[in-house]
Amino acid sequence: MIKLIFAVLLSWLLGASIYAATPREIIAKALLIEDSEEQAKLVTSLGDSDPQEVIALLTLWKEGGIFLNVDAAGAKVPVTLDEEKDGEGKQLAHRFDTGAAVGKLLASDLNAAETDSALRLAMKSVLDMAQLSSPDAKKRQEAVETMGSEQDPERLPALLARQTRETDSRVKRAIREAIALIQLKDENDAVKIAACNELGAIRSIPSQDALKAIVAEATAESKTNLANAAQLALNEIAKHVTFVNTAGTAFRGLSLGSILLVVAIGLAITFGLMGVINMAHGEMIAIGAYTTYVVQCVFGPGLELSPFGIHIALPGMNATGTLYNCYFVLALPLSFLTAALAGIALERGIIRFLYRRPLESLLATWGVSLVLQQLFRLTFGANNVQVSSPSWLSGNWTVNDVLFGWNRVFVIVFAVAIVFGVTMLLKKTPLGLLIRAVMQNRQMAACMGVRTERVNMLTFALGSGLAGLAGAFISQIGNVGPSLGQLYIVDCFMTVVVGGVGNLIGTVISALGIGMLDQSLQQILGNPVLGKILVLLGIILFLQWKPAGLFVTKSRSLEN
Amino acid sequence: MKSNRNKIELIIVAIAAVILIVLLPALNAAGVVSNFTMSVWGKYLCYAILAISVDLLWGYTGLLSLGQSLFFALGGYMMGMHLMRMIGDLGQYKKPIPDFLVFLGWEQLPAFWVPFSSLVFSMLMVIALPAIVATGFGYLAFRSRIKGVYFSILTQALTYGAALMFFRNDMLLGGNNGFTDFKFLLGADVRAAGTQRGLFIATAIVLIAVYGFCRWLTTTKFGLVQRAVRDSETRVLFSGYAAANYKLFVFVICAIIAGVAGALYVPQVGIINPSEMQTDKSLEIIVWVAVGGRGTLLGPVVGAVVINALKSWATRAYPDLWLLMLGGLFILVVLFMPKGIVGLPAQIRGLLKRKQTPSALATDTAAATP
Repeated sequence: MIKLIFAVLLSWLLGASIYAATPREIIAKALLIEDSEEQAKLVTSLGDSDPQEVIALLTLWKEGGIFLNVDAAGAKVPVTLDEEKDGEGKQLAHRFDTGAAVGKLLASDLNAAETDSALRLAMKSVLDMAQLSSPDAKKRQEAVETMGSEQDPERLPALLARQTRETDSRVKRAIREAIALIQLKDENDAVKIAACNELGAIRSIPSQDALKAIVAEATAESKTNLANAAQLALNEIAKHVTFVNTAGTAFRGLSLGSILLVVAIGLAITFGLMGVINMAHGEMIAIGAYTTYVVQCVFGPGLELSPFGIHIALPGMNATGTLYNCYFVLALPLSFLTAALAGIALERGIIRFLYRRPLESLLATWGVSLVLQQLFRLTFGANNVQVSSPSWLSGNWTVNDVLFGWNRVFVIVFAVAIVFGVTMLLKKTPLGLLIRAVMQNRQMAACMGVRTERVNMLTFALGSGLAGLAGAFISQIGNVGPSLGQLYIVDCFMTVVVGGVGNLIGTVISALGIGMLDQSLQQILGNPVLGKILVLLGIILFLQWKPAGLFVTKSRSLEN
Repeated sequence: MKSNRNKIELIIVAIAAVILIVLLPALNAAGVVSNFTMSVWGKYLCYAILAISVDLLWGYTGLLSLGQSLFFALGGYMMGMHLMRMIGDLGQYKKPIPDFLVFLGWEQLPAFWVPFSSLVFSMLMVIALPAIVATGFGYLAFRSRIKGVYFSILTQALTYGAALMFFRNDMLLGGNNGFTDFKFLLGADVRAAGTQRGLFIATAIVLIAVYGFCRWLTTTKFGLVQRAVRDSETRVLFSGYAAANYKLFVFVICAIIAGVAGALYVPQVGIINPSEMQTDKSLEIIVWVAVGGRGTLLGPVVGAVVINALKSWATRAYPDLWLLMLGGLFILVVLFMPKGIVGLPAQIRGLLKRKQTPSALATDTAAATP
């Protein structure tokens, strides 16, 4: 009895000593043992150690990176070799356990530490386990998902072991999914049915193919219960897929609508309030986008431009990390300002002569748009320029299998902010009062002493500046090139015309409506171009029904 | 004064007609004028026909359509389909159907392609298709009294949508690449100097005919109503005229003219693709008309030839600056030369007169506003 207690105590002590050893020490020990079963035991005991180190060391062993050197005393010493080779092809060797240098050795003189199948199996399960214990929940989830998709029954124990310890809810769900997927390969039909039910219950989208295979197999072998269970699970998942697609379409529609709104709101002011057809509105957007690009370059490696043979070099700050990520915060107001200044120049130089000739303002501003496009081409090159998103705009959330890109969420938030800001500006500030007064009745406003010329200029600057802001956003979503503006100009005008001229709420509703319609049609037809054509056709028909757009500004004038 | 100017214009047109229809082809046949010059001028003449159609719409009716390039391209496509059929089995794949259809995996000709083997049917379609599209769109647009800038924007959307559609391969109209590599027309080699000369003469005759037709149309009562619509549509409506019908008629006529211009253009240039129907092209036509002088019939012809000659020269001499020149020229013309090149003498006379009597300034600027 005493003997027994002693034995237990000893083994406990031994176990404790192993437990306390670092993975490096354990592996060093295992390397020197001849018996592969003992080796496998030691390797298995690594399960509780630091997973990163275990992965690194075991991978090194598996891939033949550890060698056995016989030292002067005739004892075997495991060593690793440095990458660098000297003139004779010798590499500096380090003792594997302590890391101490043991002199230069020739790789061909050494025997790599061998592994046999039992040991590799043990290694694999330890590696799986280690991957499952990665401190990063995202990595754990990825590891679990790969295991699930491979449907390898050998991995089941590792997953089951992890399941009891896992705390992160996403990973927990992934483990349930992976276990059920692996269990689909089980011999026992009852287990399979249980797995089917489980997959149905967690609405696992990736398991559809496996379930379909089960249905086919079970029907062929006329196992009705199993086939029914799998079919039920599939139906459940199909319902979920429909939900995910609908929610995804709604979100994409909302974000596309927000983009339309952001690009069109400037036009809603210049065209809607002032009645100026600014065909160069698209180029104002491009000015904003290029400003963002320049700011980014100044924060990064600097920028060299050579338009018309004039060499301009902007020094870069070579910022990294948080500071670099902040470039966008500075780019936003700068885009607004540059575009607003360009707008002022355009208004003072050309448009103010054409207020009474709206069709001709269309033509002259088209000329401006041609000139600006060519200037972009000559300054920044004909190709698209690279604008990288700050890291806080480039991630995404996945909620219930629906993907929410941060940049798209941000566009929605931004659109709300812009609409709010513009409404406040028009309704609550002195400038807004003047703008509205001049737009409603220019002569009367002039009689009351309003400097209408100046108000025109400021209104146009506001509209152009908003286009610039939109450009800063577009640069985060799409390509920035000389013809960027042409992509959006038709959509902009459509949005404003459908919304009803002279009304911001109309623009908001029409932008969201067009965005939703476009995305839904894309989802239904599975073809973006056809969807777009149908939207255009829809708009033409819509204007049959409401020729002046959604919201009509009431007027007694015959011509309007 | 007015009849005097008309007489001068008639004489100019008669001289131009003789030069274009008889003299140039004869000189070409004799080897004095190069084939290259002929093909370039053939292109200009097609553009001139197109420009007249835009002017009839914009200068005479006040409808700034950004869809004329669509009708031009539609006409071109109808002609192109016939020319594609005439290639026969001489294509890359040596099959009796056009190469791109073979490429898309078609074994037999799609049904809608079959009748285009006939030149008569194709020519009918050159007229019918633009007319049908214009009637449909125009009916909808004018019925709901869409006018001015809204009309421009809607035609722009129409053109944009159509271009998107033609860029698609499953339209079975060649997608991006469109039609090219034409071989025969009426059994003759389409690229031979003789055939090109024939096409040149045909284009010149059509141009003179279109000019004559528009000249006649604008002098009729119809033409008067047309100009009244431009100047004050509301008054026309109150006088009991169905302005929408007048506008629709002009719109359809202009679509047909543009379609015919496109049909003549394609065999001479040897290619048609969807980039011809982009809105940029429509705006370019408007530049020709604006520079030449809208509201006259000679203006658009002059504008089309001058701008395109300038383009040919500038894209070779200063390729980077061409768009800057075009844009700048356009801005200047819109701001300072509302009557274009043709109206320049009158404008200068006006300026001189104004110097003598400064009080006339106010009335002059008012007159310049349409």
